[in-house]
Amino acid sequence: MPNLIDMRDIIKVYPNGVAANRDVNFSVEKGEIHALVGENGAGKSTLMKILYGLEQPTGGQIFLNGRAVTISTPHQAIALGIGMVHQNFMLIPSFTIAENVVLGQEPIKGQLIDAEAAINITRQLAQEYGLEVDPTAKVEATPVGMRQRVEILKTLYRGADLLILDEPTAVLTPQETDDLFDAVRRLVSQGKTVIFITHKLIEVKEISDRVTVMRHGEVTGRVQTAEVSEEDIARMMVGRDVLFRVEKPPQQRGEAAVRVSGLSYVSVTGRPLLRDVSFNVYRGEILGIAGVEGNGQTQLAELLSGLAAPTTGAATINGQSILGRGPRYVREAGVAHIPEDRLTNGVALEASIADNLVVDRYYRPPFTRRGAMSLRQIRQHAENLMQKFDIRAAGAGAAIGSLSGGNMQKVIIAREFSADPALLIAAQPTRGVDIGASEFVRRQLVEARNAGKAVLLISADLAEVFSLADRIAVMYKGEIVAIFQNSPDLTEEALGLYMLGLKRQTPAEIESQL
Amino acid sequence: MKTTRRQITLEIVRIVLVVLLALLLGFFITTLVSDDPVGAYTEFLTGPLPKISINDDGGWQLRGVNRFGNWIEDSITLILLGLSVAIVFSARQFSLGAEGQLFLGALAAGAVSLYFHAPAVIHISLALIAAGAAGFVWGLIPGALKAYLNADEIVSTLMLNIIAIQFYQFILTRYMRDFTAGYIGTEYFPETAVLPVVIPGTRVTVALFITIAAVVAVWFLMSRMPLGYEIRMLGANRKFAEYGGIKVKRVITLSMAISGILAGLAGTHLSMGLLKQLTLSLSPNIGFEGIVVALLARNDPKWVPVAGLFYGYLRTGAQIMERSSDVTREMVLVIQAIIILFITAERVLPLIQQWWQRRRSPEAILDSVEGVGDVA
Repeated sequence: MPNLIDMRDIIKVYPNGVAANRDVNFSVEKGEIHALVGENGAGKSTLMKILYGLEQPTGGQIFLNGRAVTISTPHQAIALGIGMVHQNFMLIPSFTIAENVVLGQEPIKGQLIDAEAAINITRQLAQEYGLEVDPTAKVEATPVGMRQRVEILKTLYRGADLLILDEPTAVLTPQETDDLFDAVRRLVSQGKTVIFITHKLIEVKEISDRVTVMRHGEVTGRVQTAEVSEEDIARMMVGRDVLFRVEKPPQQRGEAAVRVSGLSYVSVTGRPLLRDVSFNVYRGEILGIAGVEGNGQTQLAELLSGLAAPTTGAATINGQSILGRGPRYVREAGVAHIPEDRLTNGVALEASIADNLVVDRYYRPPFTRRGAMSLRQIRQHAENLMQKFDIRAAGAGAAIGSLSGGNMQKVIIAREFSADPALLIAAQPTRGVDIGASEFVRRQLVEARNAGKAVLLISADLAEVFSLADRIAVMYKGEIVAIFQNSPDLTEEALGLYMLGLKRQTPAEIESQL
Repeated sequence: MKTTRRQITLEIVRIVLVVLLALLLGFFITTLVSDDPVGAYTEFLTGPLPKISINDDGGWQLRGVNRFGNWIEDSITLILLGLSVAIVFSARQFSLGAEGQLFLGALAAGAVSLYFHAPAVIHISLALIAAGAAGFVWGLIPGALKAYLNADEIVSTLMLNIIAIQFYQFILTRYMRDFTAGYIGTEYFPETAVLPVVIPGTRVTVALFITIAAVVAVWFLMSRMPLGYEIRMLGANRKFAEYGGIKVKRVITLSMAISGILAGLAGTHLSMGLLKQLTLSLSPNIGFEGIVVALLARNDPKWVPVAGLFYGYLRTGAQIMERSSDVTREMVLVIQAIIILFITAERVLPLIQQWWQRRRSPEAILDSVEGVGDVA
C-alpha cells in the first residue's frame, strides 16, 4: 500500500538565495503520528508550508496515496484532506466557537446561516473526536487549550484526514498538553493521520510512532521512535552531543537587589492586568515566574524595564526607585532586559549587528566622544561580543535580519549581559531558539546568577523554569498566587494546579517566601 | 542588508540596466509623438552638456554653457531638498513640508538681505542663518505635533505649506514689494547679499559649495553623530529604539526640524542666487521633487548628490527637448516619470531574475545558492 504522503526530492530556494529544503524526502503512513523535528531554520516549516500549499517548491514532487498532486493553495490542500493548525491561532475572538468552526462553510437555512445546525455540527464533531468545547462560548472568553481544540475542529469540519500540528504544545500548560495528547491519540484511532511539529524531544518520545529529523534543510534521520533515545534525536538535530542538564552550583544568595511592592497595572481599556504584585529578587538568585502566558507576565516585564508606567506600586533596585521614568533611566539604574518578543523590541532587523549591540550605550564613551561616534569602537565592540557569545554571522556589518533565530537571540543576550546589570529580566529567553543555542542561553543565565546578579526569568516553558530557577513564583490573572523554593519534590503537575487557578497559597504563605 | 561587494556590483548593474530600459521606453514613446524622434531624443539626452565648437580659424569655443548652468542650478535645489527629505525618511516619518520651509527660508533670507547692511561675508552668513532658522522652526512645529500629539505629519505639513506660502505672499505684497516695479517683487538685493557666481556665464553661485558642505554635514550627522544613530534606529524599528532607551519623541521632532534647515537653505539658493530678489512664486512645486531625489538615493546622504545631478539632468534635458522639438511638455513629463518609476520600482529586476530562474533546473539553482536556512 502506498504511503499517505510522499514528498520526493523537495527543493525550495527562496528568491533571496536561501535554500530551505535540499532534496528532502518525507513520507507519512496512514494512521500514524509522525513527529517532524529540527532546530529553527532546519527547513521543517518550509516543508510543511509546501505540503499545505502556502509555498511552491522549486523542485520535487508530492504524492498523495501514490498519486502525483500539485498543491498551489491551502484551498487545494484542504480539498485533498490536508489540514493545518498553526502555532498562532486564526480564530475570530468575538465569534462563538460554533461560528468559528463553520466559518466559510456555514450551514444555510433559507437565506440565513443556520446557527442551530452550526452548534449541532460542532457538538457532534467534538463528541466524535473527544475534543471537548462549549459551542456557544465566545472564543475570546475561552482558555488557550480550548482555542486549540477549536482550530482542530475547524480542520476536521473541512474534511481533513491528515492534520499538521505546528508546535501545538508551545502555549499549553502540562495538563492541557496531556489533554491534547489524548485527543491526538483518539484522532488516530478514528483513522486520521497526524504530523506533529515540535522541538521538545520529550514529547516526541511520548506521542509519536515515527520521527523525521531535519538539519540545514536536509533530512538527517528517519526512525521508529521506540528505537531511539532523546539523546539520539538531539544528536541528529544538532550534529553533536547535547547536554540537557545545566550545571548549577549551590546558591550563594545575597541581599535583595530588587524590591517590588504592590504593583498594579490597568490597561487603557480598563482591564486590570497586574494586581498587587510584590516580590524580591536577591543577588545570586534566579527567580522564575511560571504561568500560562497572558497572565500578566508581559506587563510585569514592561513595567520593570521602563516601557510602561504602573497604575500603582513601587519598585526599587538597590534602593533606587525605577518606575515610570523611561527605559534610559531604568537601564542606567542597572536593569537589563531580554524582551519576550525579540523581533518587535529586541532588534532592528535592517540595522547591522554592530548598531544593534550599542542601542543602550551608543551615547557614552568610548562610542561617542565630543559629539562624534567612533565607528571603529562600535565595530570592535561588536567583534568582541560576537566572539565571546559565539554569534555566527558574515561580520559585524551584517544586518540582524540575515541571522538565524538563535544567533539573533545571542545578539540580544550579548548586549544585555555585557551591560553588566544588577537585575537581568529574561522573558521567554529560549523561545524559538534551537537546542544548541538554548543550552548556551541557559548556561549564561546561570553564570549571571553565579556572578551575583539578580535574574528574573519569565518563561512559559516549565521544564526551563524547573531546571534554572532557585525560587518559583506562579502568576495567575495578574496575581502572584504562590511562591516556592525550587526543589526536587516540586512537580510540574503540582505547579500546574496553581497555574490554572485551581489552588493558591494564603497571603501568609506567600509573605514567608518573598 | 549585508553589503558584500557582489551585492554592490549587482545593485549597480541593476540600476544601469533599468536606466537603459527606461530610456529605451522613453524613446519608444517619443517615436509615437514626434516627427523627428532621433533629433528630439538627442536634445533630451545631450542637451544639458556644453558643446565644443571649432571655429574656422582652428580656435574653439564652448557653447551651451548656460544650459549646463541650468542643470547645475536645478541640481543644487534638488540636492538640498533631497537631503532634507532623506533625513525625515530615515526616521521613517513622512514630511511634505519642504515647500513651505523653502518659502519661509527665502523670506527670512530676503528680509536680512534687504534690511541689514554689512560686509558681504557677514551679510550672506546672516541671511543663510536666518533662512535655516526659519526652516528649522517650520519643521519643528509638525515634528512636535507628530511626536507629542500624534498628529499625522502628512496632513500637518501640507497645511503648514499653505500657511507658509500665503504668509510669504502676504508679507511680500503688503510690505516688502517694490511699488515702483510693474510686478509683485522686491527690489534687487544689494551686492553684499547676492551669492557670488563661481562658473562664469551661468548662475551657479557659491550655493554650490554650500550644498557640498551640506552633503558632508548631513552625512556626518547620519553616520557619525549620536542623533543620526537615533534617527536611524527610530526608522529601523521604533519599538526597538524605545526599548533601548532612545527618547523617541525628541528624535522625531528634531529629525523634522533639521530637515527644515536644508529646505530653508534651498530657499536662499533660489532667492539670493538665482532671482536676486523675492518674487510672488519662487519655483512652483519644487518642494516635492526632493522626495524623488531621496527615493533615488535610498535616503543615503552620500548618494543624494548623484541622484540630484541625475534627476536635475533629466529635468533640464526634458526642458530643452520641450523647447527645441515638437514633443509637448506633457509627453516630456510622461517620459521623465516613466524613468523615475522604473528606477524606484524595486520589483522590476527581481521579476526578470525570477523569469530567468524559472528557465533553469532546480538542481542548478541549488548549486548556486549561498546560504542555508529557513525563512519561516
